[in-house]
Amino acid sequence: MAFPLPRGITPSEIGFLAEMEMVTVVPRQRLEGLELLGGPIEPLVPPRRASLPLWLALLLKRQRRANIMPPSWLHPEPLNLILEVESQHPDYRDAFSPPPPLPGQPSIRDDGLAPTARPQYTPDGNRYYASPPFLPQNTAQTEGFSSRDPPALPFHWVEMGNMLLESASDDLVEPDQIRRLLKDLREVRLAKMRAGTDVLDAAATGGGGVALTGVGAMEVGEERGFLTGVVDNLRKIGASKEQARREQMAEQRANGGYDGAQDEEEEDYMEF
Amino acid sequence: MDIDDILASVDRGPGASLESTALDHQSLTRFWVSERAVSEVLPWPTALMDRMMDRVRMQIETIEDIAASSADVPPPTTNAQNANHNPNLNLRLSILQTDLARTQYIIRSLLRTRLAKLTKYSMHYLVKLSSTNQNLSQSQSQSQSQSQPTPEDSVPDISAIASFDPLSESEASFVHAHQKLLASHYSGSFMGAFPRQLRRLDDNAGGTSMIQGPETREVVFVRCLGAEVPVLVVGEGEMEEDVGVTMRMGDVWVVRWEGVRAAWLKGEVELL
Repeated sequence: MAFPLPRGITPSEIGFLAEMEMVTVVPRQRLEGLELLGGPIEPLVPPRRASLPLWLALLLKRQRRANIMPPSWLHPEPLNLILEVESQHPDYRDAFSPPPPLPGQPSIRDDGLAPTARPQYTPDGNRYYASPPFLPQNTAQTEGFSSRDPPALPFHWVEMGNMLLESASDDLVEPDQIRRLLKDLREVRLAKMRAGTDVLDAAATGGGGVALTGVGAMEVGEERGFLTGVVDNLRKIGASKEQARREQMAEQRANGGYDGAQDEEEEDYMEF
Repeated sequence: MDIDDILASVDRGPGASLESTALDHQSLTRFWVSERAVSEVLPWPTALMDRMMDRVRMQIETIEDIAASSADVPPPTTNAQNANHNPNLNLRLSILQTDLARTQYIIRSLLRTRLAKLTKYSMHYLVKLSSTNQNLSQSQSQSQSQSQPTPEDSVPDISAIASFDPLSESEASFVHAHQKLLASHYSGSFMGAFPRQLRRLDDNAGGTSMIQGPETREVVFVRCLGAEVPVLVVGEGEMEEDVGVTMRMGDVWVVRWEGVRAAWLKGEVELL
């Protein structure tokens, strides 16, 4: 058996991906810049803030070589606000609260503006649009993010929250309250996820789909097995119906002229 | 940085520039997640993987150099700079090693996932490979119509093939050798006793093909990265028949893989 794991990345691998998110640290000691396989690391000079991938920040934190600045959303007030939207806002009764916008995507406040996706190009000439975990969604409030944007849960919020609460709770503001808020958010969103199973039939038809915008990486990981299982079974149940519909469509397209000819023949017959 | 360092950085050749390191790492991570998310083997990114393997090799050399240099320095250092330098040396080494291990994990998981898919659908991929060189494989299958067919005959010959898409060259030779062994084992253990017309592994008598391929109608989780991406309704002959729902930038959807495959190839959606 070359590979025993099921289709789709597992929760521990989602945690592994979340460790690639950039966070802001305040170093306690100097460290020269390093060239890593994941990209260069800027030199650390205390007390200047620096952006590091979470795995490196945690490694330094455990050795007391740096402090982690909590991400801008991981404070009691923004979490309270998101929880309010998530549980009481009429627009989001069945949907998740909006995720942080991608680069080029208009903020939720300027709705109606057309998004302008500006791709980078890889050395092979392919288009590349950056997305989590490679966007600065978990850095402390610094330059780059307009303060106009309402607080939003980033894609890796469950993992980020848990890892920081576990290893760097002394760097967070009111960690106990944050822990409680994260738990409440998890429950509210889990309930929405479960309520959403009613509409899964849409994803079982060709060209259809179910929107889960704003969902978190870990929530995808939790639901993947159940959701794909349900949809695949629905697809198998509906397979004969889909086949019949497809044949009917093909027949209509191919025999459009033929049907007309048949009608004419019948008319001829009537005349005789 | 002295002149040797500058020369060394030039010597590393194309693909070693800093921005492309980060970009390649992100592309590799995304490709790994995608490969884990679908049941078919995705097109092998030859250039990207070559660059990544080169970088891993170089990074291993760097780590060995640093480790060797740290062993060379005698513990009671007289040099003030060395004494200042040494505590960081171990830290640097552990950071570099962690980074290397993380990248190696992704590459290993990626290759094993592909191997698992290849062994599962080996016949499907061999037939696909040989059908890219249509005329060649046909002339060979005609010459194979001898009096004593064996299961080995039904394994397509891929020795004269120019394009290995979607596999890499070593994967193609692996899957061919694997299927040859499997066929001769089947022949030796039970298929040799079968009637002549039942001995082929690619039998499609009665309209049912014996070759099992990956299920492209399975649903996947995708994030839309382009401004607007329609989900295609794919018909029988992999023809795009119709357009279903339209995803907008930043949206996360549960849709059929076949409906977004073309958009994924263009880099406009990301698998989660």
